[in-house]
Amino acid sequence: MVDKFRVAQPWLTLIARLILGAVLLVAGALKIGNLQKSAMAVRAYELLPVQLANFLGYTLPWIEIGVGLLLITGAVVKISGLIGAITMLAFIIAIAQAWARGLSIDCGCFGGGGAIDPEDTRYLSEIIRDLGLFILGIYLYLYPKGRFGLDK
Amino acid sequence: MATNNGGDKGTRNLVIIMVSFIVVVGIVFSLISNRSSTSAAIPASVSADDGYGIVLNPNTKPTIDVYIDYQCPVCKTFEILNGEYLNEVIAQNKAKVVYHPMTFLGPESILAANAAACAADENEFVAMNLAIFQDQSANENSGKWQGDAMLNIGKSIGINSAKFEKCINDGNYVKWTGNVASASAAANVNGTPTVFVNGKELDRNTEYGDPIKFKAALAAGGVK
Repeated sequence: MVDKFRVAQPWLTLIARLILGAVLLVAGALKIGNLQKSAMAVRAYELLPVQLANFLGYTLPWIEIGVGLLLITGAVVKISGLIGAITMLAFIIAIAQAWARGLSIDCGCFGGGGAIDPEDTRYLSEIIRDLGLFILGIYLYLYPKGRFGLDK
Repeated sequence: MATNNGGDKGTRNLVIIMVSFIVVVGIVFSLISNRSSTSAAIPASVSADDGYGIVLNPNTKPTIDVYIDYQCPVCKTFEILNGEYLNEVIAQNKAKVVYHPMTFLGPESILAANAAACAADENEFVAMNLAIFQDQSANENSGKWQGDAMLNIGKSIGINSAKFEKCINDGNYVKWTGNVASASAAANVNGTPTVFVNGKELDRNTEYGDPIKFKAALAAGGVK
C-alpha cells in the first residue's frame, strides 16, 4: 500500500495542483470583470467592517489568480497549497456563519454574490466543495513535490 | 530518485516574480480605480455629500435614499409599485429624494445611469427614470440599450436638445457612475432596490413589495 502511494504520489500532487489551481484561477478571473459585485459579495457576509470588506472584495480576486497560477505551474507549491487551504477554511467559516445566522446570500465564490432569495441558497454544497478543496490544499502542503512542477 | 522534469531554479524564480508582479499591479490598479474620482464630471443636482446621488428637493426634510440598478428586474417592479407615490412625494416637495443608480449588473447599467444623469441636467430625471425602467429588457445584458437606445428613450419623453444628445454620445457621466458605486460600497448597499429614510433602511422583505407598507414606512420616517 505504502509503495503504491509512493508511486502515485507525484501524480496525485500534480492532479491536486491542477484542480485547486484551476479553481482558484477561474474564481479570481470571473470576479475581476465586476469588482463592485465582488465587494458586495464580501459585505453581504456581514463579518467585516465595511471598509475592510470592500478592500478584501477588490484584492481577493488577484490573490486567487496569483495562487492559482503558482499552483498550476508548480512553483512554491508548499506555500501556495497552504494559502489555498487557509483561504478555503476562511470561506467555509464565512459560509457556515452566514447559514447559522440566517442570512440569505450567494457565496460569491465565482463572481455573483450579495442577497438572494432564501430558497436559492446553496450553503451545504458550497461548504462541501470548499472542504474538498481545503483537503487538496493540505495534501499539497504535505506532499508539494510532484510531476511537471517548477520546484526542484 | 526520479525527480520531476521541472525547470531549473531560474525559470521558477522568473515565474514567481512575474506572478507577484501581476498580483501587485492588479491590486493597486483595482484599489485606485474603485475610488471616487474627484475629476469626474458630475451632474448639477449631484453632490458628494449625498453619496453622489441625483438629488430632488435638496432643501427639504426628511431624506429618502433610493439605490437601484436600471437592469435589476426587482427594481422595475419596485418602480411600478411605488414609483407613482415617490414621484408624488417629489412633486409635492414632501421629502428630499436622492437616487443612486448603481451599475454592478453590467455595462448597460452604466449606459442607463449616464442617460438618467444627462436627463437630470435637463430637469427630466423623474420621467427618464420611469421611461428607462419601462424599457427594461427581459434579460440582463441583452444588448438592448446599446447604440441609440438611450437617446430614443429621451426623445420619447420629449428631450430633444443637442446638449442631451452630446451627453449621451460622449458618456459625460460614465466616470460619475464609478463615484456612485464607490459611495454605495461605503454605505454597505448590497442589493437593489435598497431604500433608506433618514438613514434607516426599510425592510427588504415586507416594505418594498407592498405599496401600503411602503407609504407607511415613509410616513414613519417623517414624510407627511
